[in-house]
Amino acid sequence: MNKRKAMKIFLEVIRYTIIIFGAFWMILPFFWLFSASLMTPQELMSDTPKWLPEKPQWGNYLQVLKKIPILTYYRNSLIVAGSVTLLVILTSSMAGFAFAKLRFFGRKILFSFVLSTMMFPVFIFLIPVYYLMKVFGWLNSYLSLIVPFAVSGYGIFLMRQFIMTIPDELLDCARLDGAKEFKIYTRIILPLIKPALATLAILTFIGQWNSFLWPLIVTSTAQRLMTLPVGISRLSLAFSTVETQHLILTALVYQVVPMVILFLYLQRYYIRGFVLSGFGNL
Amino acid sequence: MRGVFTLTHSSKKRKSLEKNTGAGYLFLAPALVFYSLFFIYPVIFSFVVSTKRWNMLVPLSRARNVGFSEYSYLLKDQMFLGILGNTLLYALATVSSTIVIALILAALINNAKLSVLWRFIYFTPVVTPQVAIGTIWGYLYRPNNGLFNSILKIFGIKPVYWLTDANVALISIIITAVWAGIGGSMLIITAGLKNIPQDYYDAAKIDGAGPFRQFFYITVPLLSPTLLFLTATGFIGAWQVFDLPFTMGRNAPARSVMTVSWYVYETAFQSLRMGRASAGAFLLFCVIFGFTLIILWLFRRGGIKGYE
Repeated sequence: MNKRKAMKIFLEVIRYTIIIFGAFWMILPFFWLFSASLMTPQELMSDTPKWLPEKPQWGNYLQVLKKIPILTYYRNSLIVAGSVTLLVILTSSMAGFAFAKLRFFGRKILFSFVLSTMMFPVFIFLIPVYYLMKVFGWLNSYLSLIVPFAVSGYGIFLMRQFIMTIPDELLDCARLDGAKEFKIYTRIILPLIKPALATLAILTFIGQWNSFLWPLIVTSTAQRLMTLPVGISRLSLAFSTVETQHLILTALVYQVVPMVILFLYLQRYYIRGFVLSGFGNL
Repeated sequence: MRGVFTLTHSSKKRKSLEKNTGAGYLFLAPALVFYSLFFIYPVIFSFVVSTKRWNMLVPLSRARNVGFSEYSYLLKDQMFLGILGNTLLYALATVSSTIVIALILAALINNAKLSVLWRFIYFTPVVTPQVAIGTIWGYLYRPNNGLFNSILKIFGIKPVYWLTDANVALISIIITAVWAGIGGSMLIITAGLKNIPQDYYDAAKIDGAGPFRQFFYITVPLLSPTLLFLTATGFIGAWQVFDLPFTMGRNAPARSVMTVSWYVYETAFQSLRMGRASAGAFLLFCVIFGFTLIILWLFRRGGIKGYE
């Protein structure tokens, strides 16, 4: 019996050692980023890497605002991520309502089609959608960053799953009272799926905020539309001199912190959506 | 009362069966327009482009038709095959390591003290932009003054050229990708763990099964639908990887870390060879398609009935 207890304690020690060791590695890059964002360029480039700055250079945070149009990047990212989020929750809830509660010819096939679109890799669409944007004359406007993401197969799927849990009786009562489907959508469905909408909104927003490849392609000719990830990734090329290199890391803090705070604040919604889907990065 | 209600309900339902076809299509209209414009049309367009020599500067109708010559060119091109190989290796290594590590950690953290805190810590990289992650790790991986080599030095290990040695660079990027992805998989596995009835573990304990046996004979088999889901979705994401190799691989030796997405980006938007880029995209798509079918088939043979 005693031997068993010792074994149990031994296993618990190993368990927490692994958990804490892993957590250390998860935090390390973030810790180093924050620490390095406060270093002088000499400290950052010194031959013996420093864990902490000798004297924190808080001025880096002001300096970086003067050197790069970070506020413009912020504004662009906000406009793009915000608009895409609004469009996605609108189109997803509409289509989700149709798939969950309305009967019409071709419903099953159309729904399978929507699901299958999620399997297609993005790189097939780069050339044709870029060409479309060119033909529409949108390459110099936010539309090229927003419209190609206005509908999300994942969003439709998520909304359908939630709306299916609303009892049919509720809708039929409203229909008996003479409500049209549009009224049912705005007065019954939307209020009832608010938590689901919040989940989809935050997943979409963070996904768009972090999105890189498409904005990189589109804004290569329209620099004033650059979003945060594109703008800051360009710095690594522009700021490669020793005197300015440390500012890249300071700029990165500006990019990372809002998302971590947003996530901390809305964790509940984000995790629920993530668990329901696993499509964290759509 | 209840009977009356169900009666009206069912007759009403039959009525609405005919009734809301129009409404159905009306609510679907935005999605249908979108999918025709941004899904069906692009897939067809992309395939047509892959049989042409086109630089996007002239109308497509004036581009020269080259049949399937871009496909046969790419299949003989050592560089493209290397890029395809990088993408395959990246996807296989990242998805499998992420799931195995996430499974072990999720099992350890489940019911542990402070589990919410641990999950938050492991999850943070999932909401962090991949571009930022790539840049930070790029600094940590620096050969002379990077943090990792200075840690190795403490143990007397010679510096590793993480991102500039052609044999190591892709592995370094895979390590970063696994680091960034563990938290997401962990969260989904945790949700799966919570669905396994405690009775199974209690019964196993009575029969004298230790924690390892419980893990391999109860946890893993009952989690297989979750694991299948993670494998399938993990691969869909991994095949398309762009951000990490692109931000971390700038100084890597010639194309040793290039992936298909990056190749399509470069070939299309820098070399303006739309046909070749599209052909490359379709070739990987064929691989992905076949691969997805194999995964589903393997798991089905593994005896998973619950996933249907």
